[in-house]
Amino acid sequence: MSGTDDRVAVETSDRWPDDADEDVGVVVNWFVAEGGHVEEGDAICEFQVEKVSVDVPAPVTGTLAEITIGEDEEFERGDRLAWIRPA
Amino acid sequence: MAQQEKDDASGQQTGRSLTMSRAMVEAIAHEMREDDEVFYMGEDVADYGGIFDSTEGLLDEFGRDRIMDVPISETAYLGAAVGAAQEGMRPIAELMFVDFFGVAMDQIYNQLAKNTYMSGGSVNVPMVLTAAVGGTYNDAAQHSQTLYGTFAHLPGMKVVVPSTAYDAKGLMHNAIRDDDPVVYMFHKRLMGIGWLPAPDGPKTGVPEDDYTIPFGSADIKREGADVTVVTLGLHVHRALEAAADLADDGIDVEVVDLRTLVPLDTDTIRDSVAKTGHLVVVDEDYRSYGVTGEIIASVAEAGLDDLEAVERVALPDVPIPYARPMEDEVVPGTDDIVAAVRAAQGDE
Repeated sequence: MSGTDDRVAVETSDRWPDDADEDVGVVVNWFVAEGGHVEEGDAICEFQVEKVSVDVPAPVTGTLAEITIGEDEEFERGDRLAWIRPA
Repeated sequence: MAQQEKDDASGQQTGRSLTMSRAMVEAIAHEMREDDEVFYMGEDVADYGGIFDSTEGLLDEFGRDRIMDVPISETAYLGAAVGAAQEGMRPIAELMFVDFFGVAMDQIYNQLAKNTYMSGGSVNVPMVLTAAVGGTYNDAAQHSQTLYGTFAHLPGMKVVVPSTAYDAKGLMHNAIRDDDPVVYMFHKRLMGIGWLPAPDGPKTGVPEDDYTIPFGSADIKREGADVTVVTLGLHVHRALEAAADLADDGIDVEVVDLRTLVPLDTDTIRDSVAKTGHLVVVDEDYRSYGVTGEIIASVAEAGLDDLEAVERVALPDVPIPYARPMEDEVVPGTDDIVAAVRAAQGDE
């Protein structure tokens, strides 16, 4: 968790479905492993809330430095899912 | 061969892995960009993206002329797809649940499968019929079958059953480019959707570029010296789990993933049995007149001397129950495969 200054957080508040009553989602799939390269805009993971699946795009191009919410783990709206180190 | 493909392909990228449904969609989208004659029709394939995510996102890129929702009439739209194929288009038509094939049996068995032959080769039917198969999620007797043997039994259709995202993409490219009818059967439990969790195995690295996996090439998903387990679809992953369990007891299991039932790669099966001497065939389809009997017969015909023991694991000949404990009882589990491998060993 050190040296977070240069890392960009992956968050979901702007991806949350507008009509969802629930504020808890579950990460269904990660498509990139820690250490993998990500391109800005590409879907890097998918979460589900109220049976709706939502893709989460990479906010920047770089390396997926750390996954903070793993597959099948629940999280609350706005929680950070991962850190990306920009290229 | 298959391993070589994987090595070449995975070298092109790092870190990306896809669910089976996304890998299938990637192949379909690629072929649709390359060829305007490729289109997709079926129930809930447009706005909904396929109830098992088989067409997720395609409507946005290709529009309603090429991603078509159809009324609930398998007879009408599968017949229309056969006609379009014969006129030179390359339709992909989705039978939402394979269990519904009965209402369009004439379109499938008498037209799709036979028209090339019956026209003396004057028409081809370059069509892909996709269908969701499989149980293990309590959807009862009319929504849980695999019916692999039913489609493989009647001549004229190639039959494809992927077990991983990598295979699903390469087999889909090959299916769409094939000039003959292909039935592409995807197991719901392998698609990687949130409400129907997959085992860990089917999500794999998948190259972004297109590649094909030739039909009739079984893949050895795990090398082993003592017992050959031949299987397909979801049960590849259960067999791999069983093999991991058995390895702790010093039993070295080879897992052969058929990948296609028609054509059937009997050479790979026979070579494996020649090495191990012990054959266990695992299928999620019914036991009688099905895949297990066919595989065992093909080995016995050509290499009876190689066979020291044979076991088969399949669904008993009953409708698939709705109740969870009863469905779990009839659908082969990892424990059943472990027991069959032990039984085959004990026959020595």
